[in-house]
Amino acid sequence: MQNNQDLKDTLTYIHSELNRMETMAGTLSTIEREHYNKLTNFDHRELVDIAVEEQSAARQLGTMKQMCLAMAQQIEGIRHSIDSGELGESAQHVEIH
Amino acid sequence: MLRFIENLIRSAINETVDKAMTRAIRDQYTENLFGMIPSTTKVGVTNLMEIAMRANQGTPVSRPLGSPIHLSPWEKILFNPVHLFRSPTPENVGISTSVTIGRRARRPMTISIPIMIAAMSFGGALSKSAKIALAKAATAMGTATNSGEAGLLEEEREAAQLFIGQYNRGGWMNTPDKYRRLDAIEIQLGQGAQGSAPQRTTAKNIGEEFREVFELQEGEDALIHSRLPGVNTKDDFIQLVRSLRDETGVPVGLKIAATHHLEKELQIAIEAEVDFVTLDGAEGGTHGGPPTLQDDVGLPTLFAITRASEYFARKGVFRDINLIATGGLITPGHMLKAIALGADCVYIGTAAIMALVSEQMVEALPFEPPTSLVVYSGKLTDQLDVDKAAMNLTRYLNACVVEMEQVAVTLGKTALTDISKADVCTIDPFIAKAAGIQLGYVSPENQDRFYEETRPLFAAGEAEIDGEQHINVH
Repeated sequence: MQNNQDLKDTLTYIHSELNRMETMAGTLSTIEREHYNKLTNFDHRELVDIAVEEQSAARQLGTMKQMCLAMAQQIEGIRHSIDSGELGESAQHVEIH
Repeated sequence: MLRFIENLIRSAINETVDKAMTRAIRDQYTENLFGMIPSTTKVGVTNLMEIAMRANQGTPVSRPLGSPIHLSPWEKILFNPVHLFRSPTPENVGISTSVTIGRRARRPMTISIPIMIAAMSFGGALSKSAKIALAKAATAMGTATNSGEAGLLEEEREAAQLFIGQYNRGGWMNTPDKYRRLDAIEIQLGQGAQGSAPQRTTAKNIGEEFREVFELQEGEDALIHSRLPGVNTKDDFIQLVRSLRDETGVPVGLKIAATHHLEKELQIAIEAEVDFVTLDGAEGGTHGGPPTLQDDVGLPTLFAITRASEYFARKGVFRDINLIATGGLITPGHMLKAIALGADCVYIGTAAIMALVSEQMVEALPFEPPTSLVVYSGKLTDQLDVDKAAMNLTRYLNACVVEMEQVAVTLGKTALTDISKADVCTIDPFIAKAAGIQLGYVSPENQDRFYEETRPLFAAGEAEIDGEQHINVH
């Protein structure tokens, strides 16, 4: 029982941190995109290359946001399984056989 | 002085052209050099040269980069921008470009852009430096690159953040020590430019590193079989998918050449519970394939996508199985239309290679083709600047995705994956019917009326087809 509570607490922590990471990734993505817009205003090859990298970083941060969201949903699913006793039952089932 | 030389050249050219034109007009066709023009027009420049090559070599011609014939009528499909009834996306809203492949897998693979680098093998197709450059560019863009039908090239694996490996008919990636190091496994049973035909790289074209990666003996050819070793039945394939999935947890997919038997092949893929299907249309490229396999085999990419996505929808698996389109996708417009028609993302091969060598092709021209910088047997592979090439491809990919994002904005979408058949129309009634998209000639509410009123025109076409069948029967 105590183990279940510990697991739930850990999952709650991971869930909240994932939500925070999702927000951070979203904010950084916006900043990177703005940098891209600013840097492409200069007609300078090296700055344009940096802009391309910024744009790619913006997209990858957007991807991280999506990944955090997907992982947070999975964590939520595991927490529900613990609450409804599904996880404990399946663990017992495995032990029995 | 310069003006004098220029005048001299001009007068020499004038004299030469005058004489050539006079001869072209006066000579009989049998003696006339102009006879080349109608002859080439009759058979086509490519066919003329390939006839000559076959006559000279006596073996199938090894044509690089796939068929020059474009059978997918992408230009007949157009996107529908919005203005009032639905607003365009505000320009400060970021367009989501990421795609997750293998949602059911224990370790799904998420890419940041819906474009991946297609399967082009080290040795069988490309040089090591070209493979590393492709991997570096893919990593810079947060997307994946593909091994092609090869063994595991360590340097490529290191350079690629996301690496899809082909479980291949040569058997070079098919051992646990190799496929366990992949981010996704693509079981390669065929490709658009070659169907499931066998291929051979002869020992004389195999260098030391190639031998090492492919684990070949000295003097041994690299042979790609028509069948995957050990997979002779549908059940063998299902068993293979399950064991790879259980063993690795990464998305496991199937790559085939798109054919008219598509739905029958897809049904087996569904039964095997693959995570993705890669469809290589008839326009797919290859390093050196026989022209007949390239030009006369397979189903065009456009129709392969629409048929597959409709089949997945009908079977209720379109959320579980990702559809990856490839084969002759050259422009961002082609790529985005493929996504609109049902693909989750696309692979590009030829376009990626062109982008890779773009700035450096001056090193090869005019005496060597630009591909000699990147193909394994090329004369100038050591001259390819890997970082410069990777940056060129990164810029190209970025430009493509920005153009796609702009289309998404004008369609009022916030994610490229949200673009669907409802966002396109066509100017061809046959494509409209085949692909299940609306005809741009008439308003949405008049679509049915249009087809009803024009039925006699289509009926005439049907009668012709029936007539032909009638003749065949008797």
